[in-house]
Parts: sequence; C-alpha cells; structure tokens
Amino acid sequence: MQDTALIYLIGPPNSGKTTLFNIFSGKHFKTVNYPGSTVEYSSSDFLDKFEIKAKLFDFPGLISLNPDSLDEEIVVESLFNNSKNDCPNLILVTADSSQITRHLLLTKQLIDAGFNVVLVLTMKDILFRKNFKINTEKLSELLGIDVVSINGRTEDGIDLLVSAIKKNLNKPKAFPNPDKLKEFKTKDSLIKTFENIEQIASKVIEPINIDIEKANNQLNILNPVLREYSQKPDELTLKIDKILLHKYFGFIFFLLMMGAVFTSIFWLAAPLMDLVDSLFSSLANYASNSLGNNWYSDLIADGIISGTGAVLIFLPQILILFLILGLLEDTGYLARGAMLIDKPLSKIGLNGKSFVPMLSGFACAIPAILSTRTISNRRERLLTIFIIPLMSCSARLPVYVLLIAFLTPQDKPWLAGFFLSFVYLVSIILSIIVAYVINKFNKNLIKSDDNSSFILELPTYKLPKLKNVLRNSYENSKEYILRAGPVILILSLIIWFLTYFPNYSPQIEKEGLSEDEVILLENSERLANSYAAKIGEIIEPIMLPLGFDWRIGVSLITAFAAREVFVSSLALIFKITEEENIQTSLLNAMREAKIESTGEKLFTTSTSIGLIFFFIFAMQCISTLAVSKKETGSWRIPILQLIIFTSTAYVSTFLVVNFLRALGIN
Amino acid sequence: MRKASEMNFGEKCIIKDINDMNPSYKRILEIGFTPGQEIQLVNTSIFNDPLTFSLRGTLIALRKNQADSIIIN
Repeated sequence: MQDTALIYLIGPPNSGKTTLFNIFSGKHFKTVNYPGSTVEYSSSDFLDKFEIKAKLFDFPGLISLNPDSLDEEIVVESLFNNSKNDCPNLILVTADSSQITRHLLLTKQLIDAGFNVVLVLTMKDILFRKNFKINTEKLSELLGIDVVSINGRTEDGIDLLVSAIKKNLNKPKAFPNPDKLKEFKTKDSLIKTFENIEQIASKVIEPINIDIEKANNQLNILNPVLREYSQKPDELTLKIDKILLHKYFGFIFFLLMMGAVFTSIFWLAAPLMDLVDSLFSSLANYASNSLGNNWYSDLIADGIISGTGAVLIFLPQILILFLILGLLEDTGYLARGAMLIDKPLSKIGLNGKSFVPMLSGFACAIPAILSTRTISNRRERLLTIFIIPLMSCSARLPVYVLLIAFLTPQDKPWLAGFFLSFVYLVSIILSIIVAYVINKFNKNLIKSDDNSSFILELPTYKLPKLKNVLRNSYENSKEYILRAGPVILILSLIIWFLTYFPNYSPQIEKEGLSEDEVILLENSERLANSYAAKIGEIIEPIMLPLGFDWRIGVSLITAFAAREVFVSSLALIFKITEEENIQTSLLNAMREAKIESTGEKLFTTSTSIGLIFFFIFAMQCISTLAVSKKETGSWRIPILQLIIFTSTAYVSTFLVVNFLRALGIN
Repeated sequence: MRKASEMNFGEKCIIKDINDMNPSYKRILEIGFTPGQEIQLVNTSIFNDPLTFSLRGTLIALRKNQADSIIIN
C-alpha cells in the first residue's frame, strides 16, 4: 500500500454527505441543503478516535456520472482523470434511505465503473417514521458491496461504518474504466439501471412491525403498494407548500420575505455598526491623547486603530446576512425561492439558480461568484458572474450610511432607513436593467450554447440547526476578515503615509495661537503639501465635472482596493481623530469642506447623491476582479466589468449631479 | 400524446416515455423521471413555470419546456 490512502466522499445533493464529513473530520461545515453549497471540495484527516490513516475528500453533490454543471464536471474529472497514484482507494457514496430509488443510480454507476465502493445509507430515521426500514444485509448482497446504515444526528451506525472502511482499505486498489462513462449516457442504459434499482428496492425495503394491527395491515400489502407508501413525499412539506408556494400568494410571500430579509439586516446591523464605530474612535482618541503630538501617535491613532475600525465596521452586516441566508437555506425555503424567481430571471438571460449567488452578492461578491458553479448553462453562469458586482455588497454599506447620514436632516433620523432601502431598491432595479441590456446586445460577449435548463429538487422543510447556521456565519465572516482585512489595513497605512509626508513637520507661525490651533494649522499645512494632494491635483480635472475635488478623488482611488476604504480615507484626509465619534466628526468636517479652487461647498445634496450612484455601479474591488478572472478562465469578463461598470458609474454620476443642479438642487 | 407540461394541478399520471430529442432528457431521466413512475403535479407558480412534480417521494421543480419531454399516459 502507498503512503496515505485516499477516500472520496461522494453523493447526490441533500444525501447527508457533508454531515458525514463533519463527523469524520471534526470540522463543522454546514449540512448541504441547497445543491452545490459545498462549492469546492474539502479534505481532512480522520479524527484520531476513528484510527483510520487516510485523507478524506468531500466533493460537491453529484447526481450521476454524466456531469451537467461545472461543479459536477469537477467531481467526475477528479474521479477519472488522475494518475494511478491519485486514484481513490475507496469511495464512500451516500444515499438518502427515503430516496433510495433515486439515489442508488450514482452508487450503481460507481460500482459499474469499477471503483471500490462502500454505500452509506443516511436518514434512516425519516424512513423509520414512515414505518419502513432497509435491509442492509440484503442490499449489500444484491449490490456486491458493503452497506452501512447511519443516523447522522445521533451518530448511530458510525462504528459499523468505521470497521467497513478499515476492511475495504485493505483491498487492493481498484482502477476505474473511463469507457464506461459513454455507456452511462444512453437512454436505454439509464432506464435499465433504474429498473434494476427498483427491483433491488422492492426486495430491501421492509415494513417495521411496531404494533400488531399495523403489522397485519402491512402483511397484506403487496410490493407495488408498499413501494408507493415508502415513496410518498413528506406530508408536512406538502401542507406548508400549499401556503408558501400558493399559485398567487406564493410570489407575494416571496417578495415580502425578501423585503423582510433586507430590512432586518439594516435594523439589526445599524446599532452594532455604531457600537464598533464609537469603540474604535474612543480607542483612537485615547491613543492620540496619551502619546502626545508626534508622528507615531498619529500613525497609531489615524493609521492603525482607525484602519482596523474600518475593517470591523462592516462585520455586523456580513454576519447577519449570512445568518439569515443560512437559516433560510437550512429550512429549505431558498431552493423554493430559486424556483419562484426562475421565470422572471430567465427573461433577462439568467436562471433561477442565479438567485442564491445574487443574494450572497449582497454580503460579498467573492463567495457569490464561487457559488455560481451550480448553474449548468455556461452563458447563464457567466452573465450571473458578470452582474454580481452590481449587488450592493456590505462594503458599500459604510459609504451609503455616511452619505445618507449627511443627506438626512438631523431632526429626522428615521428618514435614513427609508433612504437606505431606496438605494438598495434602485441598485437592484439598475442591475436588472444592466443584465437585460448586456444579454440583449451582447450575444457575442458570452458565447455558449443555448441549452438553458432548470431542474431542482425542493428539499423537505426542516427546522434549521442553529449550531450549523451560527458556525457557517462565523466561518464566512472570519474568511472575509482574513481576506479583506489586511488589504484595507495596509491601504489605510499607505494613505496615512501619503497624507502625512513629505512635509511631516510644517513650519508655521506659532505666535499668539493656542496649542489646539497650532495642531489644526499644522495638519492642514501638512496635508496641503502631501503626496496625496499632488496625486489629487493630477486627477482633479476628471473629478471637477462631477462636482468632486481631489480629496474625494483620492478617496475614490483608494476605494478600488475595497469600497469601504472610501470612508476611512475621507476620515484620514480630513484628519478626524478628535471628538466622540468618527462619523459625527467626519460629518461636521464634510459640512465645512469647500473646493479650494472655486470656494464652493464640496459636499452638497447633489454631489452626495452623485457619489451614491457612483458606488452603485463602479467596479471597485480588486479581489472581485481576481476571482472573476479565475472563475471565468480569462481576463475578458473582469476587464469588461471594470470598464463597463466604472464608466457607467462616471456617466451616471455626471448626469445625476448635473440634472439635480439643473433642477436647482445644489 | 400527452405531456407532463399539460397536466392539471393535482393530477396524477404514469410516465410512458421520455422524449430524447429534448436537450435535458438525460438529466430528467437521471433525477428519476423514468417510464412507469407515477408523478403528480403539486405546484404551478404564478407564471405557470417552472412546475413542481412529486416523484419517488420527493419534489422536483423543472421548467415547462423540460416537462414537455415527459410523455404520460
């Protein structure tokens, strides 16, 4: 035997595969509910207690060995196109006991292709509730492989599975025959395989004799009837669907649900964001006061502490959106949402399966782009990737919050929530229009066949497992901080440097001035001669038509690394450290700011609304472009995204600002 | 020759054949729509598309033009 044995974990969507992976690896990934939520496979060693020396790989859901989406292609490729050394020693294939006639197809194909397979029957409790069980010995005999029945929740049957794995790892390695793949593709062979499976199923599904009356009844039931009994969909699910998928109310309910999701994000996230904000501003204040007036005090307070605050301020929204998405997914509603929205989305060249990626795009475009792999039609997948950056990701929220706070009259704070919902609504409508236009006029943009399809299993309604949802939300947020955090922090430091040097110790007339006034004068003198100001002067001609000056220009440039950097850049450029709260002091500075060359106010109603429009469209996230390149296989789409979205941003900002000014709104 | 896309709400039918001219027929077979199986139309959304069928103890949603390939008795 070679050094490390390889075990592949493979199974249809919703077959309890990820639960099994979590048991063996001790990692708590989420249970797969929506097809393809394990986008990339994960690998892990077995926990020590199982005493299995092997690497376990968890793959995305697979219905059959004829791949239908990129996700499935990846799995089939990993199974067949590897060198002899990478060929798995053993495949654990999962199948839902209550779905056995559908889920055995993959098992049969894997056995026929020549793999070394152990079948894991999951969810025996669901079948048990219907008063049936599967005779595993008989099934094992009929299939010619080891079969183990487990309950993922109670871990009942895992010990049997462990010994089956150990036994099968001792077998010589079996190599698959790729020629078999062609055979699986024919209609006749598929129908024959299913006939074979049905025969097997009728022999292994047995009634449980719980009480005598039931047993007597069931003894009279012949196999065809028995099969029908064991194959009825979940009663409760059908009842709930009568309401939630009602022909007319179903769609209304869906819209209300989505509205509620977004509104609750703002209501729940806003106070938490305030908390993060005031925490870091008081920290910056404390640092600046205790270290005195010198360059390293400014570096720590303005650069490091405020930069970290800029990273963490958008955390509440990401956490809450992933929490709500996870809850909806776990209950089984998200798949139904995808079904309800399929028709309207197909009108603009998208697919019902674009729905969940687009929704994730409101948290962060990066995981959203990765999750498009479940869309089987390439054209629809590329178009979905294309428009995902238009979804208002959480990085835009701090920007919107700041600008809306500026626009909202101070005596009417309730208006802010209304404005924010309006911004989201506008951005959704505009992205629909953009998708429509791109789909209509750019048939050549995304070349692909037109076999658009939508086939989706609607999972049984379940109470969400809070532990999984919480952990999933935590993992996503952690990943986001680790990826975006360093970029934002480093950028904050660069901006601090650019605004602080070269004239870091300006010579000014100190006579007759108080200490505070000296600091203030030094700050503005230092900034006016800084590198940032020089860069700003170069780009100012581009910014002036929009009503912006070099300070907004520099902030916008830094926002290309990550959008929320815009806020921390403004704070740095306006030298905000004092006072009780970054936002309040930044707002005050914004109200005072004037364009130096013209003397006009910099932040007005029109320029603030213009800025919001700029952020709705502009393709400002380097990480998104990198992922877009990786997932589409070329620079074509990311470059088009950068050019089209950013120029649309510029033009629409120009139009909005000048339209408002023409109306007399300055 | 009736198709599953022409079924009435709540109606139960037995699948007779799958039309292999439909580009999605393989996946339709693989997900369990095979001749001899009983299907029931359990949901039609407001746009009448996609349709949800109860099949082999589960619910499958598919588009109308895909349900066209399912020939019923």
